[in-house]
Amino acid sequence: MILLRLALRSLISRRVTVGLTVLAIALSTALFLGVEKVRTGARASFADTISDTDLILGARTGGVQLLLYSVFRIGNATNNVTWESFEDLASRPEVDWAVPISLGDSHRGFRVMGTTTDYFDRYKYRGGRALSFAEGGRPADLFDAAVGADVARELGYRLGQEIVVAHGLASFTDHDDKPFRVSGILEKTGTPVDRTVIVSLEAIEAIHADWQGGGRSGTPISAAQVRELDLSPRAITAAMIGTSSPLQVFKLQRAINEYPEEPLMAVIPGVALQELWEIVGVAETALLGVSAMVVATALLGMTAMIFSGLNERRREMAIFRAVGARPRTILGMLTLEAALMATAGAALGVILLYTGLWIARPHVDAAFGLYLPIAPLTGRETAGLIAVVIGGTLVGTIPAIRAYRISLADGMTVRS
Amino acid sequence: MPLRLLIAGALICAAPTAIAQQRQLDAHEHGAGTLDLARSGNILEFELRAPGADIVGFEHAATSEEDKMAVAAAIEMLSKPETILALSDAAGCEPQEATAILVAMSDEHEDEAGMLEHDEHDEHDDHEEAAAGHTEFHAHAIYTCSNPEALDRIDLPYFGHFPNARELEVQAVSDKGGFGAEVVRDQPVLQLDGKL
Repeated sequence: MILLRLALRSLISRRVTVGLTVLAIALSTALFLGVEKVRTGARASFADTISDTDLILGARTGGVQLLLYSVFRIGNATNNVTWESFEDLASRPEVDWAVPISLGDSHRGFRVMGTTTDYFDRYKYRGGRALSFAEGGRPADLFDAAVGADVARELGYRLGQEIVVAHGLASFTDHDDKPFRVSGILEKTGTPVDRTVIVSLEAIEAIHADWQGGGRSGTPISAAQVRELDLSPRAITAAMIGTSSPLQVFKLQRAINEYPEEPLMAVIPGVALQELWEIVGVAETALLGVSAMVVATALLGMTAMIFSGLNERRREMAIFRAVGARPRTILGMLTLEAALMATAGAALGVILLYTGLWIARPHVDAAFGLYLPIAPLTGRETAGLIAVVIGGTLVGTIPAIRAYRISLADGMTVRS
Repeated sequence: MPLRLLIAGALICAAPTAIAQQRQLDAHEHGAGTLDLARSGNILEFELRAPGADIVGFEHAATSEEDKMAVAAAIEMLSKPETILALSDAAGCEPQEATAILVAMSDEHEDEAGMLEHDEHDEHDDHEEAAAGHTEFHAHAIYTCSNPEALDRIDLPYFGHFPNARELEVQAVSDKGGFGAEVVRDQPVLQLDGKL
C-alpha cells in the first residue's frame, strides 16, 4: 500500500513527462481499438445491409463486384440485364419473388434507383427489418419518387417537393423537362437506401424516352406525352431474388450462371461478402499490425522516459535505501509506476476511443454510409487492453531492474 | 434495289447467328472443388463438384481397363455421402438418396444427355471426345436430420479419400441466410457456428 502511494506520488511529482507518456499510450491504444472497432463495425454494417434475399442476379462479372454495385451502390455495373432474360428467369419455378433494379442516374450526388413497388416489401435489412416511411408513402404516380432519410435531411426535402434527376452520375445534363414529386421519405436504416432516390422502372424509361445515343434527341417528348408511350423496361441493372426454399437456391443459381441466351450470374449475398472479407482481410491485418506497432512504440517511449529519469532519481533512490528500503522495494516501485502509467494510458485510450467514435460517427455515416455501432468493448478488444497493460508492466521492469542493480551498487561501492 | 435485296439477304443470313448459342465454358481448376450445402427445416442437401484430376488423377477418356476401374471405384465411393461429409451424431442425419456422376465439361450447355450416369459409364467415350478435355465428378445427397440445430461443424473426410484435392469452395444457404467459406486440406472442417 505504501508502495502504491509512493509510486503515485512519484508520478504526480513528474506530472508533465508522465502526462505526455500516458497521453502517447492513450492515443496509440485508441488508434488500435479504433481500427478494431471500424473493422468489426464495417463488417456488421455490410452484413446488415441485406437480408432475406437469396440471390442477386446481374451481368456476368465478379461476385463481389455485383454485390457492391447492386446493393451498396459502390462502383458501376459492367453490363445490363435485358428485360427479356429477367422475365424468363423470374418465371422459373424456383423463384418465389424477384425485384428488378435499375441504376445509372443521379440526383445531386445521390443515386437514383428504378424498381418496382415490390422493393418496399422485399428489401430487408438488419436481420429482416422492412423499409418504412417516416412521411408519405410509396411512389404511386409515374413521376413520384421516394427518398431516403439522408437525401431528405441533407437536401432539406419535404413531401410534394419537385426534384430533377440528372442523367448519369455527373450532373452535366438534367432531365429537367420531367421533374419528380417527392411522395415519401423513408425512415433512417443505416444502409445505402438512406442515400437513394427510389422511382419506378417505368419512370426511368420515361425520362429517357426522348434520349437517343446518349443525348437528347431533336424531338422532345413532354411529360404529358410520355404517359401515352409504352414504358415497359428494356433493361435492368440487377435483380434481387427470393426462392421458395433454400434447397432451390443452388439449382436456380446454376440455371442463371449457365443461362445460354445471355451471360448472367447470380450470387448469394453472404457468400459474396465472405469473398470480400477475404480480400479486405489482408489490409485489415496490416492496419491492425501497424496500430499494434504504434502501441509498442508508445510503450518503448515510456521505458525510455523511465530510463532517462533514473539518473535524476539516483538521489531519491539513495534516500529510499538510507531510510531502509530494500533494493527489491525499488524494483517493485519502478515496475508499479510503469504499470500505473500503462493502465492510465489504456483507460484514457478507451475514453478517447468512445469520444472519437461519438464525434466521428455522423461524419463516417455521411461520407461512407458506414454506421459504426457504439458498443461495449468486445472480448478481443478487452484482451488487447490487457495486453497493453501487461506489455507496459513488462517493459517497465527493464529500467526497474537497472535501478535495482544501481541501488545495490550505490550502497556498496565507495564513490569519490 | 439490288442493294436493298442484298442487305435484306444479309440480315436474314445474320439472324440465325445472332440468336445462336454463345460459346461459354465453366472455370475448371485442378485441386479446387465446390461444395454447395442447403438446409431447409429437417432436410439437408449437398452437391459436390470436383475436377476429375482431384478424384482419379486423370481427365482423359477412360479407355484402359485400369482407368475404367478407377472411375467406377470413384463413383462408387462418391455415391456414399459419408465419404464426403461427416455430420455430428447429435444431429441425427440419415441419407435418403445419394448419387454420383462423371460429367464431361464441354462448351455445350450441360444437359442430362451430357452427363454420364453411374450405371451407364460404359458409354463415356463419345461424350468425352466432344469435351474440352476436362471432366468433373458431381456427387449429390439428401439427408433428413432429426435435430439439425445440433449441427455445429461438418468434417470433410473427402480430403482423406482423395489426396489430389486441395480445397473446397463452400456455399451454404438455409433459412438463416447464406454464407461462404473455403475449406483447405490442412484443416478439413467447416465450422457452422449456428449459421446453417
